[in-house]
Amino acid sequence: MIRRAGITVVVALFGLVFASVAFHHVERQSLPPLSLSYVKLVPQELGAPNVITGILLTYRAFDTLGEVAVLFMVAAGVGLVVGAGGRLGAGSHVEAREQARQASEIVRTGAQILAPLIAIFAAYIIMNGHLSAGGGFQGGAVVASCVMLLVLANPWQRLNPDFLGSAESLAGVLFVLIGVAGAILAGGFLDNRVLPLGAFGAFFSAGAIPVLSVLLGVKVGCELSVIIDGFRV
Amino acid sequence: MISNVVLATGFGLILTGIWGMLTHRNILRIVIAFSLIGTGTHIAIVAIGYVANGTAPIIDRALSMTDAPAYAVDPIPAALVVTAIVIGLAVTAIMLAYAIRLYDSKKTLSIDAFTESRW
Amino acid sequence: MAELIGGILILLGAVLHFSAGLGLLRMPDPYTCMQAATKAPTLGNMLVLGGLAFYHPGWTLKLLILIYFVLMTNPVSSHALARTAYRIGIAMTPQSKVRAQPRSEA
Repeated sequence: MIRRAGITVVVALFGLVFASVAFHHVERQSLPPLSLSYVKLVPQELGAPNVITGILLTYRAFDTLGEVAVLFMVAAGVGLVVGAGGRLGAGSHVEAREQARQASEIVRTGAQILAPLIAIFAAYIIMNGHLSAGGGFQGGAVVASCVMLLVLANPWQRLNPDFLGSAESLAGVLFVLIGVAGAILAGGFLDNRVLPLGAFGAFFSAGAIPVLSVLLGVKVGCELSVIIDGFRV
Repeated sequence: MISNVVLATGFGLILTGIWGMLTHRNILRIVIAFSLIGTGTHIAIVAIGYVANGTAPIIDRALSMTDAPAYAVDPIPAALVVTAIVIGLAVTAIMLAYAIRLYDSKKTLSIDAFTESRW
Repeated sequence: MAELIGGILILLGAVLHFSAGLGLLRMPDPYTCMQAATKAPTLGNMLVLGGLAFYHPGWTLKLLILIYFVLMTNPVSSHALARTAYRIGIAMTPQSKVRAQPRSEA
């Protein structure tokens, strides 16, 4: 009873604050100066039609590197928290259950049709990061969902941790190497002008941004797959 | 007008998440409420960056390079939210891992069973 | 005329979505909830996308591919969830009368 009253008071107070913010919010009529400079500079200097990907992979690329490091720490943390409890202890009884439990035919057939479609969709999102909405992070999440579908359809198939670990580390190392090449050959760390800018709006354009998108997609996809694999019994 | 409606929607989701987090006793429902708070925050952040009569900051057939400074929506909140969504997924994964270990220790998913942290 | 047909289809889709939400709140156990949450929204999605095709005839091929994708994914995921729920032993509501298979063979 007291708890209910307390909860109602808390939610009502939060609601008052939020209502006053939402009520007095005035829509902007023009962009603030920093955003205006980004919207003007990204198509001209970087040759990328998508302003958001240009910001994420060139002007604020160091933050992207930090986010990738946070994802790596979370993947390691999930493996540590879930795997350390003796859940994987009973080896023989896991094998016995593997023979008995098979995914149903509907899920297996559905996975056969859907997994290639999802993989093509993930590749499309990653590669079109600089032309239209998309990019490395979003494509990496779709890659992980494809892996999850395959894990559901083949429950006894183990993901190879060595391959995932080495693919993820290789993508991270190449990301930093391109950044250092940007510092040596072009304007600064992770500047995208190390590769030629090309025609505006073409598929191979905007310098190193497509390459960085692919590396980011591979890295995020591997890390989220490791997280999903950590939850399996 | 549009951004006020979207901002109110985002705040409504945050309020629903806060209410759910305080009311439910099942750990998994508390995790879902956390995820709701995250989604509501993302919507609110993107809604703040709306410019009147603006469109997405992507230069294609609909928005030419000369029109872009006048008609593009603010790209910086959208760039922040892009990474925030993936990090939200990762944080939810950690919370679910903790829920698994809590269930293993006391064989129940009700949060009333865990009284060690109470004062 | 085409817009009228498209509008009616979208309205039917919205009615189906609403009934799905209502069913999700009122159904007694997880299995009937999953039935309400899968069949009605799938058909509702298909009707809304079909109605949209009447408004924008140039998008018809893309919308047909989307309808195919929705038709492939919704039932498969719902089946996987329902089968897992039956295997780990979630109880059915007392009002159901027929048990098809023993739980270990599902």
